[in-house]
Amino acid sequence: MTSHGLKKILSGLALVALLAAGAPAFADDTLDRGVGSEWSSLDPQVNFDAAAAWILADAYEGLVNFDSKGALIPGAAESWDMSEDGKTYTFHLRDGLKWSNGDALVAQDFVNGILRTLNPETASEKGYYFYSTIQITGASALANGETADTATLGVTAPDARTVVVQMETPAPHMLQLMGSFQLAPLHGPSFAANGTATFIDPALVVSNGAYVIKEVVPQSHVLLERNPTYWDAANVKIPFVKYHVTEDVGTELKRYQAGEIDITYDVPLAQMDSLMTDLPGQLLTFPSTYLIYYSFNLSLPPFDNIDLRRALSLAIDRDVLEGKIVKGGAIPTFSYAGGFDPAYSGPQIAEAAMTQPEREALAQELYAKAGFGPDNPLKLSIASTVAEINTKRANGIALMWKKVLGVQTEVNAQERKAWLDLFYTDDWGVFADNLVGDFAGPETFLSYMRPSAEPGYDWVKPEYDAAMDVAAQIPDLAGRYLALAAAEKILLEDYIFAPIAIEPYRHLVKPNVKGFEPSVAGYHNSQFMTLD
Amino acid sequence: MIPFVAKRLWNGLLTLAALASLTFFIMRLAPGGPFSRNRKISPEVQANIEAAFHLDEPVVRQFARYIWGLMRGDLGPSTRFRDYSVNDLIASGLPTSLTIGFWAILVAGLVGIALGLAGALRRNGWTDYAAGTIGVIGIAIPIFIIGPLMQAYFSVYLGWLPVGGWNEGWRSLVLPVLVLALPNIAYISRLTRSSLIESQRENHVRTARAKGIGPTRVLWGHVMTGALLPVIAYLGPACAALITGSILIETVFALPGIGRFFVDAALNRDYPLVMGITLVYGGFLIVFNILTDLVRGWLDPRVRHGT
Repeated sequence: MTSHGLKKILSGLALVALLAAGAPAFADDTLDRGVGSEWSSLDPQVNFDAAAAWILADAYEGLVNFDSKGALIPGAAESWDMSEDGKTYTFHLRDGLKWSNGDALVAQDFVNGILRTLNPETASEKGYYFYSTIQITGASALANGETADTATLGVTAPDARTVVVQMETPAPHMLQLMGSFQLAPLHGPSFAANGTATFIDPALVVSNGAYVIKEVVPQSHVLLERNPTYWDAANVKIPFVKYHVTEDVGTELKRYQAGEIDITYDVPLAQMDSLMTDLPGQLLTFPSTYLIYYSFNLSLPPFDNIDLRRALSLAIDRDVLEGKIVKGGAIPTFSYAGGFDPAYSGPQIAEAAMTQPEREALAQELYAKAGFGPDNPLKLSIASTVAEINTKRANGIALMWKKVLGVQTEVNAQERKAWLDLFYTDDWGVFADNLVGDFAGPETFLSYMRPSAEPGYDWVKPEYDAAMDVAAQIPDLAGRYLALAAAEKILLEDYIFAPIAIEPYRHLVKPNVKGFEPSVAGYHNSQFMTLD
Repeated sequence: MIPFVAKRLWNGLLTLAALASLTFFIMRLAPGGPFSRNRKISPEVQANIEAAFHLDEPVVRQFARYIWGLMRGDLGPSTRFRDYSVNDLIASGLPTSLTIGFWAILVAGLVGIALGLAGALRRNGWTDYAAGTIGVIGIAIPIFIIGPLMQAYFSVYLGWLPVGGWNEGWRSLVLPVLVLALPNIAYISRLTRSSLIESQRENHVRTARAKGIGPTRVLWGHVMTGALLPVIAYLGPACAALITGSILIETVFALPGIGRFFVDAALNRDYPLVMGITLVYGGFLIVFNILTDLVRGWLDPRVRHGT
């Protein structure tokens, strides 16, 4: 090759490199947020996952909203009243609310939203909120298909600006379910004309939130643009928000480092420590409503023996487990429903106040009492998912059981769907369980355990059900929390599971992004953020 | 020629039918279903949801329903991505996978053959060693190592190219295409080199030389046609594998191709989506194998069929 030709090629390469380096990466009027793996649905009445909930919370507004810290604030409703018995809530919509196409947003749109969620034809799993988490009159019959008469539902719109919600029992936590995740309004005419395309086709989407959907590319991104018809549009600072799908956390981290993403969905566990020092102030971890607990199979001996269950729970050194082995920033816990809402001071297991060596000594005593010892060690298996964080934790616990009690543990790591099904087969001794609360309060956890006799846990405890029934009748939050604490005490005293830890959210946030703050229920509306 | 293609296509169709049936029933042997969750949903509502996707019917009936849909070109609804049908998702993901696969095969073919040629013509020279080194690296280092390394260097450190995503036109293509092409460059260059060396010793090449034909014409007209046969045989299935998208590449580079849908669908028991993508993969594999045979026949009279 002549030197001239070589020069040509080199200068060509340099040009390519220059072009590549010089092209603008991302305009700074766009907030780039990671959403992990693909969202499951942008249909607000169907979506059940937390990542899509971020997108939908930007695009739709419920009767209430949640501020940057996750605190409940007025949304489409400017105020509400509760009846004396706590069973009826009346919401008063703001004046002049509009859909993104300019149509007036009326109270009936919210009623239509609930009706569509409950309609069996929608095949939505979210009706659960309205017939189980709170019991709205008529919700269960509509969801089960016993009736199709929409007039039987206890949610009505007596006039264009009033939504009335009638429940069977008082439920002070009902307000937590009036946000966009559970209760987005439905623009009837669009849905009638276009079906579900009205939720994903940017040309057809009609929404009422701070942003509207501009572009949807499956597995790639969703682009949102500020909605000029939103009632508080003047206070929405960031013009565009782009949600990027990045399944692999390692790739997401690099996209963050390269400036492609401003807020990550997650952080690689193995790099938590180094990121803390390399990117000071950018790693944000805070508690979520994701509780990790290890359940014992009560219908499978020897786990029907409470001494053994207690011994196993006490032998786990939760601080060492989370701080030295798993190292994901989870917060060790000795309770089930506590640690989410600061207003709830629920009980812990009785031995929470002891030191770990004391707990371990007691565990050894109880283990022997249950008939096990060095000559007759307990053999068990932990059913876990294959996710690295879960197997790490399971292996850590197995190690502690081995060390303190001499238990021979096998970790049965299953792929997630198989693990879910395994729970109902009863073919397990210890189940690496978890529960994500619907909101930051104890009720979402405690109501999950009732009725106590339901398959799965097989824990028959009429006292617990009775205590929960008492709590369910109390309309005021303080009184209700006391009653719930009494119920939780009954639950913890039976050691049907070992509470382990509360998983945190882990995000990297660029220093120029303001307004992304710790929020236990994971609400992070872009409308409250700014880009400096 | 035409009967040969028709026969191969018919066999391909039968293969696809067998693939569809096997996948359909094997998928259902896996524990869990598309709607198993650790949430208390009332049994009636659970039943409604399953009925909406016909999961309540006997498996044989579901299979008949699926085949009937398939004959009308309808691959069914996705249970994991509720907003889309399988047809929508494949239509959205396949162009991305095809684009990356096309460029990767082009780069791999051109660079691989060139390196192989360089190695064979100057055996044990520095080009041969360089090509060999690239070959060993390309084969030995897996995608999930080389991909992140290249991202760290070219994107995070130098800031030349995006780490991932599908937002920046050709810039989004460069790294995934390179990483996807690399192991294939390695294979193709090794294959080209060894078969060229072998081909140079063949009788017809010696005859050509003896007739006084110039070295360039001998190389292109006599050596290469024979030497490229094994390369073509390799390229067929490789094309199918590359064009239908590399699952790993799409995950590492956050690309919206069908490979990622495939993994996600399998993990979430999205039966129709797994079926749909399996059939697309199978279809590509069959078509490329037929094409490979045709090209081989064209290059080498000894393997020409039916004419």
